[in-house]
Amino acid sequence: MLQKKICMLGGFAVGKTSLVRRFVQSIFSENYLTTVGVKIDKKSVAFPDKTVDLILWDLAGEDDIGSFRVSYVRGATGLVLVVDGTRPATLAVALTLRERVEAEFGAMPFVLLFNKSDLTDRWAIPDGEIDELKQRGWQIYLTSALSGEHVDDAFRQLASMVAK
Amino acid sequence: MTSSVDPISLPQRPASNDTGIDREALARLLVEIARNVDPDNHALYEGVPAADHRLERLRQLLVGGEISELSRVTHLLDEPEQLAAAVGNVLPDATARASHMQLGEALAPAVERAAQRSIQKNPHILTDILYPVFLPAIRKSIGEKIDQTFQSLNESLRHIFTWHGLKWRFEAWRTGTSFSEVVLKHSLVYRVEHVFLISRRSGLLIAHVTAENATSEDPQLISSMLSAIQDFVKDSFNEKENSGLDTIRFGELRLWSEVGPFATLVAVIRGNPPEELHDVIRDALLRIHDESSQALEEFDGDTSQLPGVETQLQTCVELQHTDSKEGFPWLVVTAALLIVTAAGAWFFLSWQAGQRWQTYLSRLATQPGIVVSEQKIGGGQFYIAGLRDPLAVDPQSLLPGTEVDPARVHSDWQFYQSLEPEFVLKRLTASLAPPGSVRLSVVDGRIVAEGEATTTWINRARTAAQQLSAGGPVFDISGVRDVSAEERWQAYVSRLATQPGIIVADQTVRDGQFYIAGLRDPLATDPHSLLAETQVDPARVHASWQFYQSLEPQFVLKRLTASLAPPDSVRLSVVDDRIVAAGEATTAWINRARTAAQQLSAGGPVFDISGVRDVSPEERWQAYVSRLEKQPGIIVAQQNVRDGQFYITGLRDPLAVDPQLLLAGTQVDPARVHASWQFYQSLEPVFVLKRLTASLYPPDTVRLSIVNDRIVAEGEAPDTWIDRARAAARQLSVGGPKFDISKVRDVSPDARAAEHWQYYVSRLEAQPGIIVAQQTERGGHFYISGLRDPLAADPQALLSGTGVDPARVHSQWQFYQSLDPKFVVKRLTASLSPPKSVQLSIIQGRIVVVGEAPAGWIGRAQAAADQLSADGVILDVSQLRELNLAELNHLREAIQTTDIFFSSGKVVPGPEQAPVLDRLADQLKEFAENARKAGVTARFMLTGHSDTTGRETANASISAARAETVRALLNKRGVAPELLQVRGAGTFEPAVPENENSRTGNSTNRRVSVTVSLE
Repeated sequence: MLQKKICMLGGFAVGKTSLVRRFVQSIFSENYLTTVGVKIDKKSVAFPDKTVDLILWDLAGEDDIGSFRVSYVRGATGLVLVVDGTRPATLAVALTLRERVEAEFGAMPFVLLFNKSDLTDRWAIPDGEIDELKQRGWQIYLTSALSGEHVDDAFRQLASMVAK
Repeated sequence: MTSSVDPISLPQRPASNDTGIDREALARLLVEIARNVDPDNHALYEGVPAADHRLERLRQLLVGGEISELSRVTHLLDEPEQLAAAVGNVLPDATARASHMQLGEALAPAVERAAQRSIQKNPHILTDILYPVFLPAIRKSIGEKIDQTFQSLNESLRHIFTWHGLKWRFEAWRTGTSFSEVVLKHSLVYRVEHVFLISRRSGLLIAHVTAENATSEDPQLISSMLSAIQDFVKDSFNEKENSGLDTIRFGELRLWSEVGPFATLVAVIRGNPPEELHDVIRDALLRIHDESSQALEEFDGDTSQLPGVETQLQTCVELQHTDSKEGFPWLVVTAALLIVTAAGAWFFLSWQAGQRWQTYLSRLATQPGIVVSEQKIGGGQFYIAGLRDPLAVDPQSLLPGTEVDPARVHSDWQFYQSLEPEFVLKRLTASLAPPGSVRLSVVDGRIVAEGEATTTWINRARTAAQQLSAGGPVFDISGVRDVSAEERWQAYVSRLATQPGIIVADQTVRDGQFYIAGLRDPLATDPHSLLAETQVDPARVHASWQFYQSLEPQFVLKRLTASLAPPDSVRLSVVDDRIVAAGEATTAWINRARTAAQQLSAGGPVFDISGVRDVSPEERWQAYVSRLEKQPGIIVAQQNVRDGQFYITGLRDPLAVDPQLLLAGTQVDPARVHASWQFYQSLEPVFVLKRLTASLYPPDTVRLSIVNDRIVAEGEAPDTWIDRARAAARQLSVGGPKFDISKVRDVSPDARAAEHWQYYVSRLEAQPGIIVAQQTERGGHFYISGLRDPLAADPQALLSGTGVDPARVHSQWQFYQSLDPKFVVKRLTASLSPPKSVQLSIIQGRIVVVGEAPAGWIGRAQAAADQLSADGVILDVSQLRELNLAELNHLREAIQTTDIFFSSGKVVPGPEQAPVLDRLADQLKEFAENARKAGVTARFMLTGHSDTTGRETANASISAARAETVRALLNKRGVAPELLQVRGAGTFEPAVPENENSRTGNSTNRRVSVTVSLE
């Protein structure tokens, strides 16, 4: 059994919980997010030689970076950064959260998800900006919790990164 | 190389001299080398000189470096300080690289000794170091011990008096263990259902073991959530301790967790586990840490690195204890039965006697009208005391049948009146003697009377009911129908018969209906109205009245009064059935009365008008005049009668009765009266009083009255009123009645001061920007506190003119910012200093900013508006337009690129600079003017510069002097001097870099430059 602790980070209402809701195993209700500030879900990714269980810590979305509970990230081996593609400010939030995590626990693999890709008419992140981030070698996916587009790909990519 | 050479054997002997070189061996070696190089070399070894400086040289060449390095190292090793420093540099690294096992073994004795030594020397140091580690452990251990003790105490108490408690006592005695241990052993039923081993760092599940039949959700998720909750509690309550959640309890289910350095063990237990189970779990965790410490520390989610952990956990899961079934304790039950039977037999007889007595008592208790207040059994005798109603059963008569020996019964009964319904009924029957048509009975504890009775009986019954109502049963007489309606009818009829002007001709009662017929005078009492008082149902009365004129004197009098309308001076009355008129009347009235008397004479009463005196108009006039003369405030000066006309003149006070009004009722014909009245002020006290009341407006606290022709004022009044009253009294003193105000008490100065104070307070309260929070008056001093806007009126200044003594006022004002738009505008004006082109005004409670302003100012105004909006004040900056500074900027550019140049060493520009100065002056003036229009102030900095020739100090002063000169020249050209500032930059701000070798310096740098700033 190979498991990895993964933290899902992102600003308020970027759709982390929706991403998780349809694509993972879950036994805890979403109330945990508001009460304990974290909800734990599991995503199993099968590779030909092994299966990796991603234990996903879905941290309550906060635009107020100050109230972010860093301690929940301790022991994580990877991050899922979630950005709301219709709100450019959430990109800054996600990147700041990553910086805080890295400052505390060192660099760790991550995937960056631009969520709500189905809302094309309200899409607010320029392609140039995404290309620029891709050139840094970052793993970036345009996802939609609605259509499920690229969600599995993103988890699979992260699983292969952390299971090396 | 054609020949092989035997190696030279080097003799093993000490060096021949202090350089330590075996010279001989060296010589041989060299010869050998030479031969190898050249086989024809026949140099021979022929001994060695004792010393050879060449050898020394060779040695230096070959190993000089090594020697010095060696000596350094030797030196290092020999010098303890240096050696210590060198070892110290590498020690941490060396320790880190050393094999943990070996290093640990090597260091252990030394560390142990060091610790031992440290404790011997000063135990406190080590205690302090270990304190944070020990304390939580000790605390937890003590806590568990206490829990354990309580648990054992609880269980012991619970089982101490039960059958299995006895059995366990026996077991404890037999096995030599304590009773509480035995109790715990039997009573704690539990089962460890799950054991989770969770990585402390990541919260990932390392291993999970489940008991048979136990189920749970995904253990991976559960373990992560458990560690998240641990973090949550730790973060939320800022818990620094390195321990985790100890116990989570949910109904039957408990989660016990033990925290190790790298992993947490969580046991899910169903039931009631003994506290010792903590030790078991802790031991399991310790064993796991012992065996796989490193693997635990490095755990990265791959559980295959930690095989065998599950078997350790399995030991925990197997823990359980269930209570065994116990056999039924026959022996004890039998013994108990025997004892009960024996005791029962022993007490039976006395119980039986008591029982019979109790039967008698309960029989007594069920008897109405008997109250047992005391009873006891002593020496086989029965004593009873209580109350009994005389109407109740005799207690003695109840004894037979109870098997209680009457001889042994000693009773003491007091008589009383029972309020039990049966007895009350009996008593009522005796006292009220209800007629045969009334039936009394007890219904639901109430006494109900039903049937028919007369009003008198009903009234008596009602009285009895009222008497009973205090504490007794309800006596309901609503069911008794009053049958005396006919009696009442008869009473009514007889009453009618006595009424004057009413003649009852016939009356009958038929089927409960009353019929009456007769005559009534219209002036007689309405028979119907008399009915109301008799309680006869009007609906059952059928009356038929014929009107007639009664000749009874009262009725005739009434009719005469109505038809003759006698004047006030005539009084009609009935005397001995005759109608007598007495008084004075005019001849005409007397004639009319006489006619009426004649009409009446047939059958009617006598109308005697002989007592009416005929009065002539003159007499009536005189009566009127004398009446006038009696009136206060009216002075008749003259009156006469001439040709049937009446003339009167005189004085009258406006407050006196109108003489015209008095005329009415005198029967003097007003058309024949000619009056001429002059108004005057009567000094009669009554009139003076009226006038004073009208003019002085005495307060409610003052009462004016006339006492012995003096007007007296009494009560309380403020001094101002007293002053006015006093003035009025002085005016009256001439001829008028005395106005005595000595009895009016001046209202205390304190009250006046309080009035003034209240006036001041109300004045303050009316002030915008001042909020009075509290104000009191104490011991003649006034205390006020509240809030005031710094921009509001000064409360102190408002004191003037209120009559309040400032020395007695103690104010405490807190400054606050009023949100009244007026104040906000003041503050904004002070803080934002709006340019002249901007105007702030208040429109319908909103502050509107209109005009043009620089972008920076608009920004500040916008910020202020945002701030104010939080306070609910609207600052509307939408109508602000940004000032167009493009033109100004263009001009500024032109000014700043202008330089005034100077010849070398000169501080006055040459004449060729004059047009430049002229143009510059014009530009500066234009710029200053435009800036002023835009609401900003322009300032120009003139900076003098010099070239690098000459001394630095001289250059500095030349540069400053040049700037001063230009200011003077610009000033001369009409530029206001306060707009111009000067400074000397010397050589420090050259326009072009100076050529070091130039002798004359660069003419471009000898200049004055201008910079523009806006404020």
